[in-house]
Amino acid sequence: MADFLQTLMTALAIGSLYALIALGYTMVYGVLKFINFAHSDIVVLGAWLSYSFAIRALPLVGLDAHNPTTPPPIWMTAGIFVAVLALCSLAGFLIERLAYRPLRRAPRLNVLITAIGVSLLLQNVGQLDFVFGASPQKMPALLPNWELLRIPFGQGESIRYVVLPLIDCIIFAVSGLLMLALELLIFRTKFGTALRAVSFNTDFAALMGIPVDRAISLTFMLGSALAGAAGFLYVLKFPSMNQPAHSVWVLLGLKAFVAAVVGGIGNVRGAVLGGFIIAFVEQFGAYYISSNYRDVYVFSLLILILLIKPTGLLGSPVREKV
Amino acid sequence: MSASDVFIEPTSRGVNILKSATPILVGIALAVAIQFLLPSTVGPYYSRLVIDAGIAMILAVSLNIVNGMTGQFSIGHAGFMTIGAYTAGSITFYSSLLIWGTAAKHGSFLGSGEWMFVIACLCGGITASIAGFVVGLPSLRLRGDYLAIVTLGFGEILRVVLQQTGKVVDNAETIRNAPLTTFATVPVGGAIGFDGIPKYTTLFWVYAFLAITVIFAYRLKRSSFGRAMLSVREDEIAAQAMGINTSRQKLLAFITAAFFAGVGGGLLAHESGVIISPKDAGFQRSFDYVIMTVLGGRGSITGVMLAAILLSALPEVLRDFERYRIIIYAALLIFMMLSRPQGLFGIHEIWDFFPKSWKTLPWKKSPREEAQ
Amino acid sequence: MNQVLEHRSAGAAQQTLLEVKDLGISFGGLKAVQNFNLTLPSAGLYGLIGPNGAGKTTVFNLLTGIYQPQTGSLSLSGKNLLGCKPHEVTAAGIARTFQNIRLFPNLSILDNVRLAGQIRIRPKLLSTFLRTNGYREQEAALKAQAMDLLEIFDLQDRAEDLAQNLSYGHQRRLEIIRALATKPSVLLLDEPAAGLNPQEKLALAQSIRQIRDRFEVAILLIEHDMQLVMDICERIVVLDHGVTICEGTPQTVQNDEKVIAAYLGAIADDA
Repeated sequence: MADFLQTLMTALAIGSLYALIALGYTMVYGVLKFINFAHSDIVVLGAWLSYSFAIRALPLVGLDAHNPTTPPPIWMTAGIFVAVLALCSLAGFLIERLAYRPLRRAPRLNVLITAIGVSLLLQNVGQLDFVFGASPQKMPALLPNWELLRIPFGQGESIRYVVLPLIDCIIFAVSGLLMLALELLIFRTKFGTALRAVSFNTDFAALMGIPVDRAISLTFMLGSALAGAAGFLYVLKFPSMNQPAHSVWVLLGLKAFVAAVVGGIGNVRGAVLGGFIIAFVEQFGAYYISSNYRDVYVFSLLILILLIKPTGLLGSPVREKV
Repeated sequence: MSASDVFIEPTSRGVNILKSATPILVGIALAVAIQFLLPSTVGPYYSRLVIDAGIAMILAVSLNIVNGMTGQFSIGHAGFMTIGAYTAGSITFYSSLLIWGTAAKHGSFLGSGEWMFVIACLCGGITASIAGFVVGLPSLRLRGDYLAIVTLGFGEILRVVLQQTGKVVDNAETIRNAPLTTFATVPVGGAIGFDGIPKYTTLFWVYAFLAITVIFAYRLKRSSFGRAMLSVREDEIAAQAMGINTSRQKLLAFITAAFFAGVGGGLLAHESGVIISPKDAGFQRSFDYVIMTVLGGRGSITGVMLAAILLSALPEVLRDFERYRIIIYAALLIFMMLSRPQGLFGIHEIWDFFPKSWKTLPWKKSPREEAQ
Repeated sequence: MNQVLEHRSAGAAQQTLLEVKDLGISFGGLKAVQNFNLTLPSAGLYGLIGPNGAGKTTVFNLLTGIYQPQTGSLSLSGKNLLGCKPHEVTAAGIARTFQNIRLFPNLSILDNVRLAGQIRIRPKLLSTFLRTNGYREQEAALKAQAMDLLEIFDLQDRAEDLAQNLSYGHQRRLEIIRALATKPSVLLLDEPAAGLNPQEKLALAQSIRQIRDRFEVAILLIEHDMQLVMDICERIVVLDHGVTICEGTPQTVQNDEKVIAAYLGAIADDA
């Protein structure tokens, strides 16, 4: 019981992160119909920017940059978070503008290859000494190390505690708020309507006077901001950071992408659903079967779902017009 | 003259057999020439590069059957290669142990060891093509990106599964005494890779297999099979309406492509200086081959070969800029996609770019004449 | 008009080739086609007309297996075609063209036709690789057949050009050639005159009849050009909102009130 609850809580926190990243994949796919392989690198950018800001900001309040004795004031943490979001959405804007926009009419395979190129470029520029460097780092703690809950299970020798750390709650709450904001933006605002129109049919949307290029730019900025947020939250939960080109990051992005596909790519709610499903399958599979095969569970689930429902759980079937 | 009158005169039958056999013989003769002339002229370092380029060409040309000709999007080609590599590697390694008591190289050029290696490579190709059949099945239901993701998932699953395999057993006695328990752990090295495979791969074998791969791909492309595959790429619904069993063509493309990928994997596993490992099955390596096919041009065999050579050579050219190597590589890739999105040759082959006068050779007939 | 009568009298002696009974399909709640019936005799030349969105192309898609009918039956020369995949339908002898041209743009004109012709051969992978004599004969025969067809339609000189480089009118012609290359007994033409100028339409009307006679195919034709349909078709089926509202000779159809109402709309409402 204790193990089950603990796994459940971890799955919820990780699921939120997957969902945040998956949203970016799904939004870009929704409007441009291609897999933005460089999206996972925005997560990495978010993570490493958080680190760079943190080690520069902490000394300003008299704390040790790498091993702060107490967490910095909350405004500083929030400031870093906002700065990361802003820079990541700027990066998303630039990538779309410079690499993808010239290919708007090119075959999708070409855009995909370009995305792979952008991804390689970002990873390896990030590894340069004057950028982030090629060695792993440890993220300093920006939040207090509280445990919000500590429930005992069992008695005496066999007592087990189910612990709910503050960071998990923050991840869950922040992601939840961001997703809610996105949901409102897409379904309740004029911009959201325009975005959905572009996603439905780019050419018709342009004929209706919707500024398609601006809508696409904004999509990239939004998606990248969410990826940046995911990167920030990820390193707060897992402070040991791998170097930017490490395959761990690529796999993180890949799983988030799988989440988007499982939920039905192009569907915002599907991405959130998929994020949690993937996290649950991965975490429970790892705990109850074997942690060696955690990636196998994720990809097997993907293949299984696609074979049963080729457009994902919430995706709408497309019928080609003859 | 109507179609039913078409027949081939008995006298030209012999000529045709010769015409059919010549390219294969020339290819093998070239492979022999490369084997005996190249190492002494350019030295071992460049010989190894030429081997790498040859294997890359086999993989790129075979992937081109699926991605370029049939228009399906597979990013799991390295998975087929790895299956071939592990199959071929285990066959030579464990057979050598059992037959000769040691996994070291046995025999010289065209000796018994090399023939075992060739059979092992072919077995690798067959295993890979069975996997190709299985991975091709989803292509009957899924389109475009979704299929891409499933093939990517296949490679990743394979990578993780190979990581869980057991240690290599290099003691013939252990195997002889308890073959069942030894092989139950699938002793192919786990995460660190399959070390100790005898190094049989030579320039000759790589280029002989390459010649067969290229001739096969070219003849396939120009045949009824090839037209059917191309029609699936061009317009699947129209292809069906013209009586093409598109499911069959897609599966066939996956199976043949996987076969040659498996053979290429067998060659790679036996290359000196290479230890085949689970991470070879991952998507990063598959990307390399996808990039080669896109850079070469959709369905262009010669274009894809050129791209494979360029991309194998590029990292070596950029060796002096070690830190910036992948950055330059990535930047070139993006630049290429932006400036020449159809790839080097587009849908054409290299001879389409030769001057017209070369093509109207006296013995070439116009299509109408040829049909008569 | 004389010609029409002539065709009709000829049609009376012919036997049934394509038999369609109560064919129907709905997409979601929309009943796209309901209770579609058709009896097409061999060498018949029938028209299928109706306002936009009436379900004409859907009927073609049902006949060719692209959509699976939810109700009804479908047979060709007594052979059941229900549940067949599109390529099996084509092999059985129903070929079609597409409203929005669907050639293979990056293949040569010759290859477009050859591809359709290869439906009756069973090539082998090994003999393809070795280019055996048997393989060479098979390919030569295919090529000769394709060139013969191209010559009939006067496209033989452009055999090596890519299909995408043909003019619009030629592309429409190539679609018909390609369909004929499958050696069909029934040919379905989906708006063959769309986008053609008046002269080209006249020539097309002429050649549709010739195709019927020369290749001994029955033809079912979707067309918006009433002149063309009335001129060449023996019988006409009129669809509106997926329902057959009239079936008969061009004269019957022309004078039918429901048909006039469907095309002009308002009259029926006022009445």
